[in-house]
Amino acid sequence: MALFAAAFLWAGCGGEPANGPIEITFPISALGAESEVVRSQLARFMAEHPDIRVLPRETPDAADQRHQLFVQWLNAGADDPDILSLDVIWTPEFAAAGWILPLDRFGPDTGEFFPTTIAANRWGDSLYALPWFVDVGMLYWRTDLMRAAPTSFEELRRAAGRARQAPGVRHGLVWQGARYEGLVATFVEYLGGYGGRILDGGRVVVASEAGLGALTEMRNEIYASQIVPSSVLTWHEEETRLAFQNGEAAFMRNWPYAHGLMQDSAGSRVAGKYAVTAMPAAPQGSPTAALGGTQLAINRNSEHPEAAWKVIEYLTRPEHMLERAEVVGQFPTRLALYEGPELGEALSIPTADLRRIVESAVPRPVTPVYSQLSEILQIHLHRALTRQRTPAAALREAQAEMQELLNRSGLGTTGTRADR
Amino acid sequence: MPTAEPVRGRERQEARLARWLVLPAVGTIVLVALFPLTWTVWESLHLHDLRMPWLGRPFVGADNYIEALGNPRFWSALGHTVFFASVSVGLELALGLGFALAMNRAFRGRGPVRAAILIPWAIPTIVAGLLWRFMFDGQGGIVNAVLVAAGLLDQPRVWFIHPQSAWVPVILADVWKTTPFVALLILAGLQNIDASLYEAARIDGASAWRQFRHVTLPLVKPAILVALIFRTLDAFRVFDLIYALTGGGPGTATEPIALYTFNTLFQTLRFGYGSALSVIVFAITFTLALVYIRLLGADLTGARR
Repeated sequence: MALFAAAFLWAGCGGEPANGPIEITFPISALGAESEVVRSQLARFMAEHPDIRVLPRETPDAADQRHQLFVQWLNAGADDPDILSLDVIWTPEFAAAGWILPLDRFGPDTGEFFPTTIAANRWGDSLYALPWFVDVGMLYWRTDLMRAAPTSFEELRRAAGRARQAPGVRHGLVWQGARYEGLVATFVEYLGGYGGRILDGGRVVVASEAGLGALTEMRNEIYASQIVPSSVLTWHEEETRLAFQNGEAAFMRNWPYAHGLMQDSAGSRVAGKYAVTAMPAAPQGSPTAALGGTQLAINRNSEHPEAAWKVIEYLTRPEHMLERAEVVGQFPTRLALYEGPELGEALSIPTADLRRIVESAVPRPVTPVYSQLSEILQIHLHRALTRQRTPAAALREAQAEMQELLNRSGLGTTGTRADR
Repeated sequence: MPTAEPVRGRERQEARLARWLVLPAVGTIVLVALFPLTWTVWESLHLHDLRMPWLGRPFVGADNYIEALGNPRFWSALGHTVFFASVSVGLELALGLGFALAMNRAFRGRGPVRAAILIPWAIPTIVAGLLWRFMFDGQGGIVNAVLVAAGLLDQPRVWFIHPQSAWVPVILADVWKTTPFVALLILAGLQNIDASLYEAARIDGASAWRQFRHVTLPLVKPAILVALIFRTLDAFRVFDLIYALTGGGPGTATEPIALYTFNTLFQTLRFGYGSALSVIVFAITFTLALVYIRLLGADLTGARR
């Protein structure tokens, strides 16, 4: 800790110029097409605002590492970076910790955004971050193996079983099943498909009939109908993408980024042979996409919150979201963009499908202790899927531990913090 | 300590000088060992959760320790660690002794063989972990390919999703990587044995087994003990190999105590509870080290006679 604080002090003494432009620091990936788009948008911003200079701060791409870094910086009371790019599951944590500013005083046009993306960024009565782009779990399906996409789990099982008879198709369906955040995202989608949820205010309700149905469905896909290979229990996004991209799988659950990478026939055997749709659902539930994506927030210790807000407002303009969609295939968070034809063309996905998928998005539990909740859930889900526990026992144990965590952190039952 | 007789001025001066000369060493030890240790103990008596700053940082006494001792995940992690340490170190000692005996014989190309055996030891653990992970991969791993081709498996096995079979690559990788180290330590011990002892044993008509049992083994025992200490303490703190190979999974079926502590400290960011775990691990390894030093010390003095 002392070391971090020292390192921080050192990093923080960049000096404050008495006059000249205001400096705003902004976290950014070191490499990649996304970082180039952001850099070019920031350059245009500075051309329009000569009084503000935006300095990129290179931060790790891996979500866990970025999170750890932000937490350490903010704990030390750092005023740098001024703007934070947050995974959607971090906003309540940072807000409850008092590390980021409420944005309401800047008058954000929240009505223009998808309501779920706004809801996921609220804590207490305030908005703490503005959704920059949205990630949703989708079902990728092979148009050369079937005529229509399945809409129920039962149809999916049948279609996957049939598709496996085609040459080269080893797997019916692949999803992310390793013990990490991706497993929770997959589970949330099955859970929604069965009409269940994880939290109800401050009460954990995952060990329900719906929870049992969802987890049993996932487990049966591996061991009963065997449409899902058991190796998915060690797979992250990229392993599933490679299997699907090589034509080995008939279906895949994945985020939009995979679509951006698989359209090019040079590296992909399925270019032009697949489409995306919403995840299937059981009769008692509805199609559900786990809501992901990146949000922009302002560091509470920032010396120039107004200037920081100008940067956020600029980056979240419709034309800039459209540009990101074109270049890196990221889905915008503004409703209006889903009305016109440009977005569908930019992403090469029919706009109606896009809209249906994004509207099926459901946030993972909006709570400051999400990461700890998720860790507990990951362990118990993985135990059930590797047949160390029955689904019922795993959910019961997960629920007990998660409830204990909520109670310990003062977030149990009421859903808001008891007192500050 | 000064004797009852008055010490001469020069000696006293030398003693004072000596104190100044050891000061940097003592200072370094305090700075790099005692200070962090004390800090960790202090931290372990507090509730300090980086992710829940609204809970403050109150003094909670032994609460963190009580939580650890009542937590099944802690006990299973401890159990995994003991299991891993005993199985892997046992295998390494047996194999290491065998290799050392083989390398101790005069044969052509002994030099290159001794150098070559060190290669696994020279590979960084995290790289070795990834290497073994690829070899045991469920889809394209070479281990499955070989076992299926040899008719030992009907179909490729996904090693890492079974709580028992996930240990196979873990133990094999550790044995592969550290047996050379054990072998070299024991070899050094073997080379210190006076050849005339074997000559005498042969003249007395002792069989090869009796020579091994009554000459080699007692004399190489200190070397074996040194290897045992190093390996047990290392195995007890095993982290990077399992981190790279299984990540502690499936579920938490291969999670050792060091990985659990790491996750608590750096993923969950619970500094108080994580510090308590660190202190417990420290207490265990420190006790182990003390016991071993006792054993070794007795044996060394005994051997000198």
